[in-house]
Amino acid sequence: MSDPAVSVLPPPTAMPVAREPLADATEVDVAVVGGGINGTGVARDLALRGLRVALFERNDLAFGASGNSSGMIHGGVRYLSRAPHVTETSCRDSGYIQRIAPHLLFRIPFLMPVRSGPKGRVALELIDAYFRAYDDYQPLKRGEPHCRLDPSELAELEPGLVGAVVGGITFDEWGVDGARLCVLNAIDAIEHGGRVYVHTTVDAVEHAPARAAAGPRYVVTASDRFTLERVRVRARVVVNATGAWSPVTAALGGLPQARVRVRPGKGIHVVLDRRVSNYGILSEAIDGRQIFVYPWQNVSLLGTTDDDYYGDLDDVQATSEEVRYLVQGVARVFPAVREARAIGTYAGVRPTLYAYGTNEDALSREHEIVDHTADGAPGVYSMIGGKLASYRLFAQEMADRVARGDFESQAPCTTHVRALPGGDRAVDAVRLAERHGVTPVAARRLVYRHGSRAERVLERIERRPGERDVTCPCEPVLEAEVRHVVADELARTVDDVSRRTRLGLGACGGMRCAARCGQIVAEERGLSPREGGLMAGEFLVRQARSRLVALGPVQARQEALALAHLRSSMGQP
Amino acid sequence: MIDGTRAHAHPPRRSERVVIVVGAGAAGTAAALAAAARARRVVMVDGGTGATTLSTGALDLAPWSRASRPPAALTAGARGVLAAMDAHALPEAGARLLTTAGIERPARGHDAALLDVTPFAGRLLGVVRCRRPGWDAAALARSWGEGYEPLDATILRHVDETVLPDADFAARHDDPQRLGWLAERLREALARSERRFAALVLPPCLGVERARGRTLSELVGASCGEAMGLPGGPSGLRFERARDRALSAAAVERVRGRATRVGSAEPGWRIAVESAAGEPLTVDGDAVVLATGGLIGGGLEYAPAEAVFASALPPAPRLPFGTSPPAPVAIGAHGRPIDLPSTLFGPAPESIAWPFVDAALLDRVGVLAGDDGRAAPGLFVAGDLRADGPRTWLDALATGAAAGSTAAESAVSDPTPSWLGAASPSRP
Repeated sequence: MSDPAVSVLPPPTAMPVAREPLADATEVDVAVVGGGINGTGVARDLALRGLRVALFERNDLAFGASGNSSGMIHGGVRYLSRAPHVTETSCRDSGYIQRIAPHLLFRIPFLMPVRSGPKGRVALELIDAYFRAYDDYQPLKRGEPHCRLDPSELAELEPGLVGAVVGGITFDEWGVDGARLCVLNAIDAIEHGGRVYVHTTVDAVEHAPARAAAGPRYVVTASDRFTLERVRVRARVVVNATGAWSPVTAALGGLPQARVRVRPGKGIHVVLDRRVSNYGILSEAIDGRQIFVYPWQNVSLLGTTDDDYYGDLDDVQATSEEVRYLVQGVARVFPAVREARAIGTYAGVRPTLYAYGTNEDALSREHEIVDHTADGAPGVYSMIGGKLASYRLFAQEMADRVARGDFESQAPCTTHVRALPGGDRAVDAVRLAERHGVTPVAARRLVYRHGSRAERVLERIERRPGERDVTCPCEPVLEAEVRHVVADELARTVDDVSRRTRLGLGACGGMRCAARCGQIVAEERGLSPREGGLMAGEFLVRQARSRLVALGPVQARQEALALAHLRSSMGQP
Repeated sequence: MIDGTRAHAHPPRRSERVVIVVGAGAAGTAAALAAAARARRVVMVDGGTGATTLSTGALDLAPWSRASRPPAALTAGARGVLAAMDAHALPEAGARLLTTAGIERPARGHDAALLDVTPFAGRLLGVVRCRRPGWDAAALARSWGEGYEPLDATILRHVDETVLPDADFAARHDDPQRLGWLAERLREALARSERRFAALVLPPCLGVERARGRTLSELVGASCGEAMGLPGGPSGLRFERARDRALSAAAVERVRGRATRVGSAEPGWRIAVESAAGEPLTVDGDAVVLATGGLIGGGLEYAPAEAVFASALPPAPRLPFGTSPPAPVAIGAHGRPIDLPSTLFGPAPESIAWPFVDAALLDRVGVLAGDDGRAAPGLFVAGDLRADGPRTWLDALATGAAAGSTAAESAVSDPTPSWLGAASPSRP
């Protein structure tokens, strides 16, 4: 017999009224729930307009889809025929992101080989025409127009391609570090008066007892997942930007979950140990879906899958079947991915708009704002859907609605012209390296991640020369950067540091840096060394899981060595 | 000489046999030294470094974990090999070692250069500060716990030493002058400090040819030793040097090159080798000890069908493991041959690897062998290559010594192990 009172989610009743005294509650204008790109984006936008914002994130910033995306702000070429406006807004917003965070972007030219066959020639013509249409949008994001290539040109550009082709085309996209994009938005929100609570779960959203005409209408109660400390905030507006978690969040506020339905689409990527191709290469998976391999930062990525997902959102993992699906599909045109060493995988769940009956790929990545006035909660909004490339636009739409509708503020949106932290000017990494006595490679990666703020990170070295040491030799990451992200970028665990710096995500899988990173995080946060060690152990186990699903012959040796070393130096976790 | 202290008084009787040992790590060295005392001739095929050279100097019998276990007994064979190499310490009560991951851990024995902190319980130990990668004396002192304090000292002499790999840095202290310089710096530091340190902890740096810990301690007037560093440090090189000395003292012949095939040559075995110069040659013997290592060393290969057959489907159901070199042995785990994988492309890693499963297949898989290492008539396996072994240093020594001595003494016509009838060898 199941007890009707016991349920995973609270029943969708009306939002309750807060009963506890509110003396301890901080008053803000807007409470944002969710620290992904939508949440941090809207928090920044509102903060720049002068509103007081508090953001709550249950895990870490960019823990979900935002930090586990393909790492591209692509122009949405696949929506061109069905929804050209999606392509246009994606491209335009991609251009804005380049303007506000130029350090974080890098060009990824793609090749699309067209295989010989009965319809090969026709296919090439059609694809050529399709991309000619896409060329119209390329200037919006400083992209190059596409080129048509004959088979010999393709072979010259990418000698690793196999199979008979009639030709191919190129097109231009931009890569970005999605996790850093979220972090920069959050930091900017903080610098403009916002409050950001990470690892803090929202427990309840309630009506404030006394409703003033212009005052706070809601009370958000949250608790820190590590310290269990409670945070209470009174806010006039609540924005639910929790992506795939949206229905769960809505239920916490007593709102009907059906109003914020998302179609949860799981996507995985396989990480190869180096840049195995010169260009991004498109291929077809066995079911005809477009998949690709592309160089991204220091590694290559294989992506991506799209399957409905109904599992635990806090623990999404790639499986070996998904890895095989990608490797098999890409190896058809680029067999080198079979021999390459897969050093990890990552997985995320896209919060696509809900539609019944369509297959996963046909779902558009368009976004939608749900106003919960009809549910008896005026001033509560849910942001559903969205994509990394047009996050800023979505945030702007949301912020416009809040600022104009709920606060009668006419302050214009400035997120497309005001640089994100570090994006204000270019800095010369080599000169910076010379000035502070660090290796140019480390300085180059530091400047990529922090832009002009790299100077601020390196200034730490002048005060404490020991921070010049390289903590993670693979990426590489300096000790100063590890300390900086703990002190100034809300990182609280080794995992968080890794998300912000890519520490431990290189070829050695954290074998050489996790323990040291744990020591540093523990020291910076005033924790015991044992807690630092445990943190490092947790990170290593999680990384081991993500690597093993892509286990190949070479990685099996490295895996055995890493495990032996882990057991020998830290004890069996 | 091999069987411990009284070996010289009663040297074992030598057989007329020729024993081939494939592999030059801990297990191979143990097998060669044990066989050398009993066989007419021992040839070692040395294909380069493996797990032993990557080890960081702790001698364990069972895998160490945070839970303490009573020290297990060590075979006379393993003790004999350690005595012959004369590069390790084996305190009867066990040792406590420090790792640069910030842990103080128990061990059965250790590389002589490492500092065993057992005698200094309750006293103050100094962690020498220096700008070496991964060495933050203050953080380590805090992590190791009560009784550790950083000590300021100048132990780097040249600018490159802040980035030099551990092994290269350690090699500099093979120079007696440099070691003297280091001792002087440490003496100065001790004199400067107001604290009274019972011993000093250094990063991995105390010599490659031999462990210089004792010499340094005598020069400084206080115990000095290393903490365990990362794989590929000086500890592995010190093993190699000690091994080379012990093998040449025991007159073991060495062939440098990779074994490419293990085949039978009536009545014994023939090993095909690709020499270091790239030339093919063969070595014949009455018995073979395979000590080529497990997954780390490369003696065992994980080879799922998709990696081997690329786009084509495998021609027949196929085990995802093989030995390198191919040998007529049965691969298994948990004491029995492996079931055939149930997916098209080999096993799902989720079902064979830690941390998805405990006692995972990948941790246990190897060549099935009897207690003396016999995997086929006249063919023995030792060390990490054996199935179900704990894959530790001392286990490699013990199984190596057992396999080596049995190989030198037993005849090829010995009974076939039972599982060879049940399972066909992985590769003929």
